[in-house]
Amino acid sequence: MFDAIVIGSGMSGGIAAKELCERGLKVLVIERGRKIEHGADYQDSQMPWELPNNNMIPEDELARDYKVQRQCYAVNAATKQFWVKDSEHPYTTPDGKPFAWIRGYHLGGRSIMWGRQSYRLSPQDFEANAKDGFGCDWPIRYDDIAPWYSHIEKFIGVAGSKESLPQLPDGDFIPAFEMNDGEKLFKAAVEAKFPGRKVIIGRNANLSEAQPHHLELGRNTCQNRSICERGCSLGANHTSLSSSLPAAERTGNLTIVTDAIVHSLVQDPKTGKIISVKVIDAKTMVGRTYEAKIFFLNASAIPSAQILLNSRNEANPRGLCNKSDQVGRNLMDHMYALTTAGVMPQYPQDSYYHGRRPTGIYIPRFRNVTEEADGYVRGYGYQGGVMRQGGKPSGSNPGIGQEIKDAGRKFGPWLTYISGFGEMLPNPENRVTLNETRKDKWGMPVLHIDCAQGPNEAKMAKQILVDGKAMIEAAGGKVVSQATEPGPPGLGIHEMGTARMGRDPMTSVFNGFNQAHEAANLFCTDGAVMASSGCQNPSLTYMALTARAADHAVKLMKEGVL
Amino acid sequence: MMQDTFDMNRRGMLQNMALLLGVAALPAEALAAPARKAKTYLAPGTYRLLSAVADTFIPRSDSVGALDAKVPARLDALLSRWASAETRGKVISALDRINALSLAQNKKAFAALTPAERAALLRPHDAASLKKVPPPPGAPTTNFFSAVTYVADPGYVKLKDLVITLYYYSEQANGKELEYHHMPGKFQPSLKLTSTSRPALGAGGPI
Repeated sequence: MFDAIVIGSGMSGGIAAKELCERGLKVLVIERGRKIEHGADYQDSQMPWELPNNNMIPEDELARDYKVQRQCYAVNAATKQFWVKDSEHPYTTPDGKPFAWIRGYHLGGRSIMWGRQSYRLSPQDFEANAKDGFGCDWPIRYDDIAPWYSHIEKFIGVAGSKESLPQLPDGDFIPAFEMNDGEKLFKAAVEAKFPGRKVIIGRNANLSEAQPHHLELGRNTCQNRSICERGCSLGANHTSLSSSLPAAERTGNLTIVTDAIVHSLVQDPKTGKIISVKVIDAKTMVGRTYEAKIFFLNASAIPSAQILLNSRNEANPRGLCNKSDQVGRNLMDHMYALTTAGVMPQYPQDSYYHGRRPTGIYIPRFRNVTEEADGYVRGYGYQGGVMRQGGKPSGSNPGIGQEIKDAGRKFGPWLTYISGFGEMLPNPENRVTLNETRKDKWGMPVLHIDCAQGPNEAKMAKQILVDGKAMIEAAGGKVVSQATEPGPPGLGIHEMGTARMGRDPMTSVFNGFNQAHEAANLFCTDGAVMASSGCQNPSLTYMALTARAADHAVKLMKEGVL
Repeated sequence: MMQDTFDMNRRGMLQNMALLLGVAALPAEALAAPARKAKTYLAPGTYRLLSAVADTFIPRSDSVGALDAKVPARLDALLSRWASAETRGKVISALDRINALSLAQNKKAFAALTPAERAALLRPHDAASLKKVPPPPGAPTTNFFSAVTYVADPGYVKLKDLVITLYYYSEQANGKELEYHHMPGKFQPSLKLTSTSRPALGAGGPI
């Protein structure tokens, strides 16, 4: 028997393993996908022309096996191994309500390919549900999690600038990446025209300067390659494979099993405690069981709900820990792909930069903070950049022969693009259920995902585009393209909310320490527990919640409560 | 390692001559070289046509050209291993249209024309093919970063895009035309351009 079992090895599972191992627990990490070796299994040393088909996945294969995944910007030949084949991992959606479920099943999960943007939620975010009445109140406030944000930021390395913004609290940062000349001009113009708005450098989990504790783990300073999603052999970005799992492993307390698909949790009907995990061997289809004293559910928002729902039994026909009927409900993502782009004809033509900086600029939320919103609650931030156009010419530009080479050698104008990330409200009708008529090849019911953006999101999306245009124009730009609507839910790859935290066992699944109301030794610390989404990229919050919950769980064990 | 399909010694000699003479593109006899060492996916005639078109798009000048970068062989491989039947059909049809134009106007296959004749024929075809047309009903007008435009001959754009991409993302062209830095090192946010500055290539990805 293990002291603790962690289900999932991605962003939050890796941190759970680290924190529990470092507190002396013997920990088993169960990963449904295959083993990946940090470095050896990456394709980050190849030049573009050394990659298969110039880094393109064959079109027929893409259409057949990656119908959903192909919508993600990071899917290419060099990263193909990190995305699930949709053909092998089906799910269903209602007609006309697409949900883009972007996934990777392997050791380290999506932490290998994540966007690395790392922002704290603010006091306002933890109070939002209570104030406007959507969703259930968070059982914690910002001050509860602030030290754990610091704990995680120090460990993973978050590059960022101190800004003293109440809606985007500062953290324990390593030096920020620098803005280029175009971005500095954009910042100055936007902040002058809109005094309540700020343009800051994106806060990202890439090591601008590796600190001694990073070097100890074999992590190195970022070389500005921006091929992070291939896996970084330098360990310059935080992933489970570069960072949290090696930290767990060096304690001598870690065991990992891969290719083990969690089927369900088994609860002792007398004590209410979870006693074991049933898994299916992904290769042999043979079932087996692992036992432990405590369990951390870190399979990511949708699979964690799936495991609870699939753990149903006679006493719990709706699924485990689901007396509230909130398991699977309140699925959220961030509104994504609301991009406005404009050329900046007056920006300096004699300025350039060197390197593919692994972050962009960020415009923190200002609606319902420093500026009112027109008929909606919550708000949005923007991610983007200002960059020189030029380089490889487009085939759609007229000209042949020397004209093509001349076009390639010429620096184009500066281009600004800013893309809104909007908060989606918790809505119990946006939910994940088990499809009762269809099973996957391991005999597990496939999921049915029924999710759509609502009227609050629609109003917000319009304002995101209006504000985006206004800011680019205020900075001297001419808008050349603009999205008309957000991408489908899921495409923000920030799915969350399917087993929310709350104070009341009748309206929530996990308590303020991420402990199941109905199973004292079960903790969930992935996106499932989010009571609201904020508009900030959520991984940092998942990791902070994880470290906090792990600390609490071990204290309870030491006190003999668990 | 992909192999070019020309007789390398003969081709190499011709290229060296071309460099010495400042020739902008390879002559027809070079493109029609019979000594083929590797089997191509495209039929020999189509492959010669592709070579002639690629060489006309990006001839050797003060830097290497599309043939130096083995674009025909690499595009041939892409059509075999990467392209769907639809894309393959579009690209081959675009090539066929160029050849048909040559036969109609010059009574010769495109690959049999002199470099100057090829350029003279392709230039107006390029302009006509890239003429903007209204989007088809329901077609998107923007993507993530920029406006989506529609042109008279999308197959031609695909062909041209593939040639250009394979050229710039090649071992031979890298550093001689534009430069791809695999390990840029420290980010330098503000550099003054000089007369020799060139834009950097991005990390590459789907075309």
